[in-house]
Amino acid sequence: MSTPIVTPEQPAAAPTPPPTPDDQPAGREGFDTFERPSMLARATAWRPTRRHAKGAARILLAYLAALVIFGAFVSLRHVNPLSMYHTIWSSTIANRYGFGQVLVKTAPFILAALAVTVPARAGLINIGGEGQLVIGATAAGGVGLALGTHVTGLPALLLMAIAAMAAGAVWAGLAAILKLVGNVSEAISTLLLNYIGADVLAYLVYGPWKDKSGNGQPASKPIPKSDYLPTIGVLKAHAGIIIAIVAVIAVAWAMNRTKWGFALRVVGGNPEAARRAGLAVAGLTLSAMLVGGALAGLGGMVQFTGLEGQLRPGLAATYGYLGFLASWLARHKPFQVALAALLIGIIAVAGNSLELSSHLPGGAVDVLMALVLLAVLSKKQSAVAA
Amino acid sequence: MIGTLALFTPAGQHQHALIVAILIGAVAGGTSILYAALGETISERAGVVNVGMEGSMLAGCLAAFAATVKTGNPWWGVLAGAVAGGALAAVHAWMVVYRKANQLATGLVVLFLAIGITDLYGTSYVSSAVHGFKSIKIPLLGDIPVVGPVLFDHDPLVYVSYVAVPVVWWFLFRSRWGLLIRTAGEKPESLVAYGLSPAKIRTAAVIAGGALGGIGGAQLSTAVALSWAQNMTVGRGFIAVALVIFAAWEPYKVMAGAYLFGAAITLGSQLQVHGVKVNQFLLDALPYLVTILVLVALARKRKNAAPEALGQAL
Repeated sequence: MSTPIVTPEQPAAAPTPPPTPDDQPAGREGFDTFERPSMLARATAWRPTRRHAKGAARILLAYLAALVIFGAFVSLRHVNPLSMYHTIWSSTIANRYGFGQVLVKTAPFILAALAVTVPARAGLINIGGEGQLVIGATAAGGVGLALGTHVTGLPALLLMAIAAMAAGAVWAGLAAILKLVGNVSEAISTLLLNYIGADVLAYLVYGPWKDKSGNGQPASKPIPKSDYLPTIGVLKAHAGIIIAIVAVIAVAWAMNRTKWGFALRVVGGNPEAARRAGLAVAGLTLSAMLVGGALAGLGGMVQFTGLEGQLRPGLAATYGYLGFLASWLARHKPFQVALAALLIGIIAVAGNSLELSSHLPGGAVDVLMALVLLAVLSKKQSAVAA
Repeated sequence: MIGTLALFTPAGQHQHALIVAILIGAVAGGTSILYAALGETISERAGVVNVGMEGSMLAGCLAAFAATVKTGNPWWGVLAGAVAGGALAAVHAWMVVYRKANQLATGLVVLFLAIGITDLYGTSYVSSAVHGFKSIKIPLLGDIPVVGPVLFDHDPLVYVSYVAVPVVWWFLFRSRWGLLIRTAGEKPESLVAYGLSPAKIRTAAVIAGGALGGIGGAQLSTAVALSWAQNMTVGRGFIAVALVIFAAWEPYKVMAGAYLFGAAITLGSQLQVHGVKVNQFLLDALPYLVTILVLVALARKRKNAAPEALGQAL
């Protein structure tokens, strides 16, 4: 065995950290004060301090390091990093069409992330957004194809959304039942269900649902154009982003202002105490996973009816995992989750433009994504100006 | 599993050949998972869950393939695979040990890093041919009916794994290093009392585990598939993580579990070769279904076997 690599920046004598919110199931703060001070009150009470400034500087440095390392990677592929970053900037944020593309990507990311957020409140780890998204899209596709031109427009969209949410909920519910009945870790079972979900979709589009009149590609027939989500002119994006934002508000409300959200937090904080307090822990566990799965399923429907229009293997691939990371980056707080999803959306769209302009392979942007995420994850709690 | 097989297959000689073929495939196909799961065992015994094992395997696949194409010697590939797998695990270790990041989230990020890097540098190798490992039949032992072909007619990395399993067991349960690693996973604070650094021990264990995962990747690309394809591990690293749980963090049980998955993975192609018609997609889903079912069957018993400080930051 090789000698262990001694990693830099090792603290000589690590000060014992305060209880880390990262390791706790989400939302310990406000645990005993159910009525939290209003957003406005908290915002006005906030004063920048030297600690905040230091924290912000460290975060900026971490982002910068991520950009420099990615620059080094692409330099090895003979791509000029500076012009690459210019391309990223001008194709995503500084461009209305590009920003529309970002919103199109961000919508399913937000929903996939919320699918992680809700179970996380109850101390559950849902890595299965990927499979729940795919199954949701598949169900939406099945309903869309079955309705054909008989039912179109808003009623069709509603039916597809309901089917997608139900299917996503079932997929996540499987993991909840495996946990409750079989004592199987939901982190592992949701991960494995992702692959089974992808297989279900593959089976359908290679087999019974394959478009025989298509060009031989494994894909279903397209749904009628009238079944697509409408486009919002100002944003240059489809209505998925509106659905996602409504979902963010709904989840924030349910988590912070309802008995159910409060009960989930109690279960997440200490299941034994919750049981003694008379809470139905099994039911709450199941409900958190069902709601999470439904949100991911809705994300699949948004991706399908907003963009894809026909089922194909690899539809929405990696969306679930990126959603998972968005939720963890934002410590499972709904509004921050949306911002994290936006950041990931920007990088994802940047990847498309890199493919076209710098001839980098599509996966190259995953490196940038990973480096940025490492930069964010690596900030210790003390450095966070939250 | 053999029982269900009997339902599909025509009786007699043919069935015997099919079962032997599946057992051969179980060992050849299960070995990459075996390496990864051994690595994950070391890592988790030290208290660190490394979902990034999937990434270490993937990086190992490409590094080994590229090194073998360049040098013509697959043993250089094994070395390159181990280095690549270990390097990715080092990122994971640094994040979770020194930056106290969440282990599951970091593992996924490490996987993304691996997917990205292998895509960035792997595209030119997609259609490359490689002179990888060849099967070597062990004299005498290889001639024993059934047992011979199943166990003693494989690529050298399979034989290395036969040695690696008892070595890892001895290392974990009989050596001083193993004791330190297990203590880092059970009661890390007690190491501090002896003036030792649990952080360094965890880091070393995670890197060693990743290196084993990289060797698993090397076996996949230079001995089994003899090719490189984007994301070619398709969840084997995740299966390894699940496998370690129901194998109760014990190397010999890990070995048995790895061959079970090897069988599930190879079943599809073997049935096709032998002219049995079964739905391809059902067969593709089989390894994951088997994993879940075995977890259900064994999870209740295994729960207490977990290292006490598994998943906890120092």
